[in-house]
Amino acid sequence: MNAIPLALYGAALVAYVWHFARRQPNVGRAATTLLVAGALAHTFVIGMQTMEVGHVPVTNASSAISTFVWLLALAYLYTEMTTDERAMGTFILPLAVALQTIPAVQPGIEDRADVLQGPLFGIHVSSLLFAYASFALACVIGITYVLLFKEIKAKHLGFFYARLPSLQVLDSMNHRATVVGWIFLTIGLVVGAVWASQAPNHDPRVQAMSLQDPKIFVAIICWAVYSFEVFAARRIGWGGRRAAYLSAIGFAIVLLNFVPISYFLTNSHNF
Amino acid sequence: MHLLLVGISHRTAPVELRERLDFQAPGLQSAVRALASRGSTREAVVVSTCNRAELYVACDEPTVARVDLLNFISEFHSIDRSVVQPHVYEFADLDAARHLFRVAAGLDSLVVGEPQILGQVKDAHLAAAEVHASGAVLNRLFHASFATGKRVRTETGLGSGAVSISFAAVALARKIFGDLKGRNVLVIGAGEMGKLTALHMKSQGVNRITIVSRTMAHAARTAEAIGGASAAPWDEIDTTLGAADILITATGAASPILTKGHIESVMRPRRNRPLFIIDIAVPRDVEATAGEIEQVFLYNIDDLQTTVRVNLARRTSEVSRAEAIVGEEVEKFSAWLRSRGAIPTVVALRQRFENIRRSELERLEFKLSSLPPEARTRVDEITRLIVEKLLLTPTEQLKSLTDADTVGAYSEALTRLFGLGGQTGSVAEDANRKVEPFIRRADRSTISDSLDRRSNKG
Repeated sequence: MNAIPLALYGAALVAYVWHFARRQPNVGRAATTLLVAGALAHTFVIGMQTMEVGHVPVTNASSAISTFVWLLALAYLYTEMTTDERAMGTFILPLAVALQTIPAVQPGIEDRADVLQGPLFGIHVSSLLFAYASFALACVIGITYVLLFKEIKAKHLGFFYARLPSLQVLDSMNHRATVVGWIFLTIGLVVGAVWASQAPNHDPRVQAMSLQDPKIFVAIICWAVYSFEVFAARRIGWGGRRAAYLSAIGFAIVLLNFVPISYFLTNSHNF
Repeated sequence: MHLLLVGISHRTAPVELRERLDFQAPGLQSAVRALASRGSTREAVVVSTCNRAELYVACDEPTVARVDLLNFISEFHSIDRSVVQPHVYEFADLDAARHLFRVAAGLDSLVVGEPQILGQVKDAHLAAAEVHASGAVLNRLFHASFATGKRVRTETGLGSGAVSISFAAVALARKIFGDLKGRNVLVIGAGEMGKLTALHMKSQGVNRITIVSRTMAHAARTAEAIGGASAAPWDEIDTTLGAADILITATGAASPILTKGHIESVMRPRRNRPLFIIDIAVPRDVEATAGEIEQVFLYNIDDLQTTVRVNLARRTSEVSRAEAIVGEEVEKFSAWLRSRGAIPTVVALRQRFENIRRSELERLEFKLSSLPPEARTRVDEITRLIVEKLLLTPTEQLKSLTDADTVGAYSEALTRLFGLGGQTGSVAEDANRKVEPFIRRADRSTISDSLDRRSNKG
């Protein structure tokens, strides 16, 4: 079922790239329409799954990725509507399409383990997914900042110069997305820790929840990187390009934690 | 009905002549009113900018109008005809439309793609519309030209990229800072070039402009010339630089006045807030290596000139796309023009039916007079509705025709079948006057002739 949103996201990606290259307004509108259609289809898919299993499908890696892509599409659409700026779609959608391929090809079986009952677990997962979506946006905005920065510095005012918003706008968008992501990351981690301390201790996966578990360890590193970016970087003059690099590094860690570690390494989070 | 354009532009006439043929100084409205009051034209619009003076008219007799327009130009400006004539160009019908669309798109401008021209064309049409000099044909033509201009601007890169040094500087500043409101500008040097760039910045709504010069009096004078700017003494460069976002240097100093180390020391307390340096002095005022500092964007006059050159080249490469849009819009306008060929037939046909209805009602008057007034009103209404319904489809069909030959054939057939050419002629003329003031003298044969000629040409 995840294939329909995937197809629409794919079509939207083609339209966004085309619009980015040729700058035809009707192609841009078509791109947004396709993305909205994709997000609606995705909402429908997730809604169906929620009704089927009685909760939001986030308890295995594939469905969590699907929900993440859905949140990312919504977060991006919100940014596009508020800034009236379509250029970023070209950079966001490859990520959305690539990630959505996973649940489309390998749909996980939504089988909620007994230990995962209760509201705290839901808050934990949904805050983290939302944080990751914000970080994905921040990362992409950061990359475009660097691309534009390099063009202006090198005095080759070309492709990106003509298509991207100003450095100042990109910088503040990056900052805003990082702050929102950091808040949800913090909530997600704290709630996760509280949940783990209350969870029944007989499950081996709950017993494995400690700082030695790769998933938890990398999440803490992630939090440290973003805390630095949000609170310290700008005070020591690390705005602009350095903040953009931090956003990119932070999201690389997030992605590492989200896909390979979830599938292969973790002992605690393999539900 | 024919379109005719007579004009001069920067391509055909030197500036001395263009100055003398300016229609704006005496007022566009008075010019267009004077033009419209001459018998040779039915509709008129005068487009006048510093680079062109063009008369667009709709007329019945292009050969007569052509001579008269030239006379009008020479009479209005009191210039001998023979002085103007060698510089004048003329376009008729679709060629005139194409020319106007190219003008509105900025394709015929001195600097290709410059945006002001579209506004000037709009002003020209507005002036004509206000004195009722433009009618259905020119209104349609000018609205089509606005649409062309807008399409070219949004769908091609013809108008993109700054093509002067100071605009290039402003465009760069906007790409770094976004909105320039609230930004502070520091100008070092009180020369003309620095002043010009500062003025452009001011038009973008910057917060504060400070002028620093070795002579305080020069700085104060330049600040006053810019208006709303302030002057600061030379030894306060560092403090003002700390608060500045944009630095323009334009002194005549023989060696750099700001070294890399100097700028580095300024950047540290700024916590790397971006600094955009525009060094338009020759020799340069800022050490070139200062551009290596993080968050310092250093552009000298050559860099800006390069971006201007690149932009000009890019505009040139967009010309063919813009021309294609012009071609499409000319085609649309041409279809509209052709569909107008059927209007006199439609009007005459309706008039014919209405006359028959009236005369039949009059003939039956003695029988109807015995009916109560409500019933008579009903009879009138019913007969009118029958006529309307009978004519609905033929009217729609005729109006949707775009092919001149078909229009001619249909008109011919209808004229014969319903006898539209003869006794109803005067009535049809009356109706024409009501519906379309400008075709009152044009009978069907001249219109279809002209359409034939046009279609042969196209």
